[in-house]
Amino acid sequence: MSLVPGIGIAKGMALTLRRFFEPKVTVKYPEDRRDPPHKFRGRLQLLYDEWGTLKCETCFQCAQACPIECIDMGGIDTRGRFHVHWGAPETYGERREESALRRSGRPVPDPAYLPFSPIDLAPVDAILEEFDHDPASMLQILEATQAAYGYLPVAALKRISQRTGAWYAMIYGTASYYSHLRFEPTEATVQAAAVDAHRPPESSYLAAFETALAGAGGGRARKSARA
Amino acid sequence: MTVVGRTWNRLTLPGKVIFTALPILVVLTAGLIVAIAVLGGPVLDILAANLPIVRFVVAVTIILLITIPTAFLIIYMELKVIALMNLRIGPDRIGPFGSLQSVVPGLKVLMKEDFTPTGADPIVFTWAPVVTYLASVMTLLVIPFAPGLFGQDLNLGLLYFFAIGGLSVVGLLMAGWSSYNKYSLLGGLRSAAQVISYEIPLTLSVVGLILLAGTMSLNQIVEHQAGWFTNWYVFQQPLGVLIFFIAATAEANRTPFDLTEADSEIVAGFATEYSGMRFGFFFFAEYVNVFIISALTVTLFFGGWNAPFEWPWPVTLSLDPGSLGIALLILVAIVPLILTIVFAAPIWIASARIKGWQALVGGFILANLFVVAVILAIAYIGLDWVAGLLWFLGKTYVFVFIFVWMRGTLPRVRIDQLMDFAWKWLLPASLLNLFVTATAIVVFKTVRP
Repeated sequence: MSLVPGIGIAKGMALTLRRFFEPKVTVKYPEDRRDPPHKFRGRLQLLYDEWGTLKCETCFQCAQACPIECIDMGGIDTRGRFHVHWGAPETYGERREESALRRSGRPVPDPAYLPFSPIDLAPVDAILEEFDHDPASMLQILEATQAAYGYLPVAALKRISQRTGAWYAMIYGTASYYSHLRFEPTEATVQAAAVDAHRPPESSYLAAFETALAGAGGGRARKSARA
Repeated sequence: MTVVGRTWNRLTLPGKVIFTALPILVVLTAGLIVAIAVLGGPVLDILAANLPIVRFVVAVTIILLITIPTAFLIIYMELKVIALMNLRIGPDRIGPFGSLQSVVPGLKVLMKEDFTPTGADPIVFTWAPVVTYLASVMTLLVIPFAPGLFGQDLNLGLLYFFAIGGLSVVGLLMAGWSSYNKYSLLGGLRSAAQVISYEIPLTLSVVGLILLAGTMSLNQIVEHQAGWFTNWYVFQQPLGVLIFFIAATAEANRTPFDLTEADSEIVAGFATEYSGMRFGFFFFAEYVNVFIISALTVTLFFGGWNAPFEWPWPVTLSLDPGSLGIALLILVAIVPLILTIVFAAPIWIASARIKGWQALVGGFILANLFVVAVILAIAYIGLDWVAGLLWFLGKTYVFVFIFVWMRGTLPRVRIDQLMDFAWKWLLPASLLNLFVTATAIVVFKTVRP
């Protein structure tokens, strides 16, 4: 209990009134973007190339430059001879193994990486031959490929990349830009293939027709008369 | 059953009444306007003969209507002022400086489902917000906004105010009792205990003032305080003002005495089960109450619509625009143009980066502000009800600001502290105030009869 009753209330009211006139701390984010802190470097991320291989060369430049020493890494050196590491060894063991696996070029068991289905490459090779392996006529190549397969299989795109020398990413970009190019067979194609697999050969139908028309008499004659 | 029939069956009883009454009212109003326009004289004569009734109907309509923007304004003030006191910016997205922010929850509340819980007493549950809201709105009827600008000049105005203001607790109790919810019931009972306890010091604190003024008519109380601000009753009744303000805060269920809706203890008190516009009515009633209490404090103790000073040289305007004749037309055509150019010129000169059309737009806006200021000044000098209204609203919103300020500062008290304070401190203090005032009056009358 203070000496003067109610002095606490008066003090509190005075405090809020002072705050009322003070500058405000709110940052209106989308309009007002403040500079990030001095040592901020953004999110760290390792990139993969189109074969799912880690692009990192294990050169340690990033770890050396890191101002707050948050990078530790390990792998095989660029000539594939020695295991090298940076940082405390107990922190990178698993990542070293994964990195080595990716750099070895063997398929990596990555659930995000789609299963690779092999196809008959002869039609693609014929198309590429026709267009003289020229990446400048990529759209025509892709259209012809789609006409041959009904869609653009990933294996065919990789074959095109390999033969023409164009980056897979560029080909993928071209293919995904045009709405008439598709990466999956249409539902109609799938159904037609399924029906095709179960249908008896055409000759049996024709033979049945012939028999029926011959039995009725004058089938061919009527048709020619109309024509 | 048709769509109309289904919708009709879903309405509650007040809804049915309102949906029947509203078209009738619209048709009657339109008919009245058409009748005045077509027949003219005779209709106006009938209206003039029944002036008190017409005046009453108009006053009630206006008072009902102005409560909505008042509540919106106070809600916005509360959002903004408390935000500024918390070093935040507060609403700034909707409208200039976020001033339309409070309209959005208002509309939202209109669109929400109007839910009645199982086990609730539907009739009492439906009418509780109406009672609370009307109790708030009806008290506005006797408050003098400006000379000649009041609903009714009752000679028992102050008594009427406290009587009707006390009705709001009935609404809160109805809400608490009919909700079929323990928290609601607790909130309702708390509000009953609190409001009834604080009504005693509230009423006793103004008895001294009634003795001084010799009347209970709010208009006459205001007229007694005319002249310099030293005539205000606040200087003769300082203790009375303090008691009145504290007790009125408790009456309006405002922080630090908002025990009835203490969300940390009893969810939302009596309003727990309410949703949609029924909750909106409680919400509005709370903010209208804030306005009313501020208005009453100003009326009783701070001179009402009187200016705090007397202008020693009386100013009169001898302006007759009709005498100008054809020159008036030319003035009306030319003055806006000239004003725009006059205000645009300094902007254009000030900086080479400002383009001509930008300067013109700025000049147009400034010229408009200037014209509004001039019109307001002329109205202030020429019409005493405009001057009175400005002073009254200005003073009232100072007190609204104090209420908001208190809400931004003070924590909620405990229920036993609340009751202790009412009975052990405020009641003796108000009795003391009454005795001292009465003694002083007797002494003065004996000394200077």
